[in-house]
Amino acid sequence: MSKQMTEMLKGTLEGIVLAVLATRSAYGYEITARLREEGFSDIAEGTVYALLVRIEQRGLVDVEKVPSEKGPPRKVYSLNPKGSAYLEEFWLNWSFLAAHIDRLRQQVHPQNDHPQDEGE
Amino acid sequence: MAAAWIERVTGSLEDKKRWRQYKARKDQLPAAYRTAIDGLERYLTYAGAIVKGDVLMQMMEDLADLVEGAAADGTPIRDVVGDDPVEFAEMFIANYSDGQWINKERARLVETIDRAAGEEPSTGSDHGSR
Repeated sequence: MSKQMTEMLKGTLEGIVLAVLATRSAYGYEITARLREEGFSDIAEGTVYALLVRIEQRGLVDVEKVPSEKGPPRKVYSLNPKGSAYLEEFWLNWSFLAAHIDRLRQQVHPQNDHPQDEGE
Repeated sequence: MAAAWIERVTGSLEDKKRWRQYKARKDQLPAAYRTAIDGLERYLTYAGAIVKGDVLMQMMEDLADLVEGAAADGTPIRDVVGDDPVEFAEMFIANYSDGQWINKERARLVETIDRAAGEEPSTGSDHGSR
């Protein structure tokens, strides 16, 4: 993963993880697997774990500890009302950022009508 | 609490117990995972500069949960820590910043700038008031 991508993800991964949890509750490793399926292929499990610690500390998720056959008890994370509210705020901020950055891009490449379609 | 006076001399006995439990968990790990957790622990200890014993122990226990879980699942260490272990470690440390030594200085800086801003004459240009 490029340095720039890592830096960009740093600010948005929290919202991305909450968005994954908005569809259903999940174990930490399930969240990492889901993100990889969604195209975030280089994401480290530890990075997701550190984020989960953070959103738990901030009370954005409810956590249930489930005993495991091997290893420590595993935590199941569910989005709670506070987390849902935070996710809504994330979408608003994301739309704002995306729209404004896109407008800047239009100024640099005015001929391009669908800038989001390129570069994949 | 009766033990309070002695803990002032020895440090928290509860934290010491948690530390011993953490060390015991580490000893159970497969060799490669133990190497990884030792390396992470060393970095987190130096870079974290955490002065609150309970916060430090919480950090180490969270680390042990992660590494133990990975060892049990057979998740390769590289998949846990990623391409850049320092990046991961710094992100991990950020969760425990209220226990860091530097936190006292952060609070002091915020307070000083608040005071400085309060000392500014309110006449003249209206920078800052929108």
